[in-house]
Amino acid sequence: MINSALELEGICKSFDGNPALIDAFFSSGWGEVHALLGENGAGKSTLMNIVSGLYNPEKGITKVGGKTAIIKGPSDSRALGIGMVHQHFKLVNNMTVLENIMLSFKNSWWRLDKDLVLKAISDIPKKIGFSIDPDARIDSLSISEQQRVEISKALIGGARILILDEPTAVLTDEEADNLLNSLKTYALKDRSVIIITHKLREVLKHADRVTVMRGGKTVESGKPTKGVNADDLSYLMVGDAKNYISHKNQKTGEEILHISQLDLIRSNGTTALNKIDFKLYTGEIFGIAGVGGNGQSELADILMGIRTFDSGDIIYFNKKNINNYNPKMLRKLGINFIPADRYRYAMAGDLSVMENFAISRMSFENFGNSLWVNWKEINKKTNEIIIENEIQGAKINTKSRLLSGGNAQKLVLARELTSNSKLLIVHSPTRGLDVRACQAVHEGLKNAASRGTAVLMISEDLDEVLSVSHRVGVINKGKIVGEFKSPADRLTVGKLMVDNR
Amino acid sequence: MQFFLNNRITIEVRQEIPQIRRFYVLTCALLFGLIVSLSILINVGVDLSSIYEEFIVFTFFNSSGVSNVIVEATPLILVGLCAAIAFRINYWNIGIEGQIFMGTVGCTMIAIYDIGPESTRLFVMLILSLLFSALWALPPALLKVKLKINEIITTLLFNYFAFYFVLHQVYGAWKDPVDQWPHSEQYDSFERIPQIGWEELNWGILIAIFAVIIIWWAFEKTRFAFQSRFVGANQNMALAIGLPVAMITVISAMASGALAGATGFVIASAHEFRLSPPMVLGYAFSGIVIAFLSGNQPFKIVLVAFLMGGLYVAGESMKVFYNLPDSIIGLIQAIIVLSITASEFFIRYRLLFVSLHRSS
Repeated sequence: MINSALELEGICKSFDGNPALIDAFFSSGWGEVHALLGENGAGKSTLMNIVSGLYNPEKGITKVGGKTAIIKGPSDSRALGIGMVHQHFKLVNNMTVLENIMLSFKNSWWRLDKDLVLKAISDIPKKIGFSIDPDARIDSLSISEQQRVEISKALIGGARILILDEPTAVLTDEEADNLLNSLKTYALKDRSVIIITHKLREVLKHADRVTVMRGGKTVESGKPTKGVNADDLSYLMVGDAKNYISHKNQKTGEEILHISQLDLIRSNGTTALNKIDFKLYTGEIFGIAGVGGNGQSELADILMGIRTFDSGDIIYFNKKNINNYNPKMLRKLGINFIPADRYRYAMAGDLSVMENFAISRMSFENFGNSLWVNWKEINKKTNEIIIENEIQGAKINTKSRLLSGGNAQKLVLARELTSNSKLLIVHSPTRGLDVRACQAVHEGLKNAASRGTAVLMISEDLDEVLSVSHRVGVINKGKIVGEFKSPADRLTVGKLMVDNR
Repeated sequence: MQFFLNNRITIEVRQEIPQIRRFYVLTCALLFGLIVSLSILINVGVDLSSIYEEFIVFTFFNSSGVSNVIVEATPLILVGLCAAIAFRINYWNIGIEGQIFMGTVGCTMIAIYDIGPESTRLFVMLILSLLFSALWALPPALLKVKLKINEIITTLLFNYFAFYFVLHQVYGAWKDPVDQWPHSEQYDSFERIPQIGWEELNWGILIAIFAVIIIWWAFEKTRFAFQSRFVGANQNMALAIGLPVAMITVISAMASGALAGATGFVIASAHEFRLSPPMVLGYAFSGIVIAFLSGNQPFKIVLVAFLMGGLYVAGESMKVFYNLPDSIIGLIQAIIVLSITASEFFIRYRLLFVSLHRSS
């Protein structure tokens, strides 16, 4: 193909003997937005990391603009005009935008020309349609602004082939549309944009062509998206996964939790929670939808007992005020948590599956007494849990950081759902998980609710909230601005989420 | 040369590490260290054939050598445990030296002021050593859990308080009335850890073994031990699931301090029979190295402590036989410790040569 921007043929790569890519191939052209679609662990990121020089493949040919290219490391890749925006941004938090861009900017071996970089930054809007403030510190920027910095960095570095790894995972629908539109304008010239994603909607709406990967192999290459059926694509992507099942209408039980007029001002003076007020009932899933940064993480932290608030009350079962309870006391009451950042708050990656499972269950399972831990019993119980919850790739002694995101989340869910659970607080339970794992987690939540547990689900994924919850609340600027019984209207909820912004 | 032009070395993290690999990497590292050390020894004029005789046989296959190794290893076991307990929960106790000093202050105080009957004197000395050191380790731990002040700085600074307090004592009230040197008077015979009756061996080793068993149980088998693993591995998570992080930190810091006290007690009443400031120096660093090499495991600490003790005894005998300077002995000890430490890299990572000429 004469018009080809990036071509990959027969790429093989394995990690410590486990194959991640098996004869994968890929081809994108100039002037197009090309989507690379697949589940988590399908090998999308690995393939593109090879292009950007982070990994070296065992086998395979890379061609840029039709010519065979040898990429030894990231600098070779940059010299070939390839720029990649990684899923986890590679920015230095306590430095300014200008400093971060200068870090990757080479115009002279002995000095860095600040004015040249500043000029390049001021040229950015012409290229892609957004601007960035060179003097802002990275940690003062929102996620979407940080992403703009990353994209600008790649463009200033001379990228003609721009690769973005899950660029919309951290953005709201609106922000995502804006970004993808500006990428489209960028790709109109002699340039190429490759988007790694697992969101079908985006692919169909914004990409010109799509390549689908599954299990390290390319299963569909360069299919034009015009007239493509979403179901066909999702079948290619996940194989024979089931669709979401709609939940039965559930009767709401008695009131279990009343969040009453909670107020919290952040340390930087902005309002996190503004007289937030809602109730939870046994046997229901109450979903809180909202754009990230509207007080969700603060609310989750408060309910987990690791943050205090300024005023208001948390009332448990109509009478008991649990304002100042710490995590241990909350657990004793039967309140359990699935935090958003599971490797930070829910598990210790360097410890085993068995240890991570047993740690919060010591007080009520038959796991020995305080003088002697009964590892045999823990061993047995963990094995049961692994089989029961289909936690794949896990033996009891596997370090938990070796589990994939979905299996790690299944483990956390299994641990938190005890026979004693009355209330489960869940924050972004499926962030970064693939379709199959999402489904397993959602199923788990629904089962918990049908057994009478109240579930509070705080999530930035609107589809998730709408499909799983019995009742939907919308949080905006630290306040519940609307409450709907399921099924809630997507458009109405979406409007409330972004109102007054 | 062509090979290096065509290939690139990449480093990969090993996902799982088999025990056998750990073993053979460590063996290779030890051999490497010994070979380098040997070449240094040959270079300074030591006869190759006599090295075996005097280095290995004299140290490990001779009853006085073995007893010396055990005597040297005793405080090393204790100080290794001391470092390991703190490091397990990621509490960087850099104040081990100060805590050892306070331990020796505790037992010396009892010895000088002749507190309690002679029959229980030694026991009271031990208790006071443990108490003084544990309490000395308490303020930095409290500052950490209450005010989040970094323990590396506070424990480090507490070393200076302890050291200058000891100097103040030995140059002042506790100066030896017999020879007027800056150390305390000699302990009486019943204030010394008694000999077992075989070569130079004393009952101090029993304290060390007892400590190993207690620590193994308390820090590996109990629920407290299980919880403290999480404090070490992920403190945020430990807090979020409601573990008593502050209590675990304070208890571990004080236990670490108490073991430093036991170390001080053994050094003072089994080796020097008095409080003499230079006797403590160096133990804190040995403790950190031992804890690191043994992966904070109590039984491995015993093994490593014996190795280090052996190196020390062999060094001493080489000093005597060949008139080698201290610096050569120190150099050899450092080379061996360093090669074992560095071998960790080959256990965790894998080096691969990747061809740059790809073919499909």
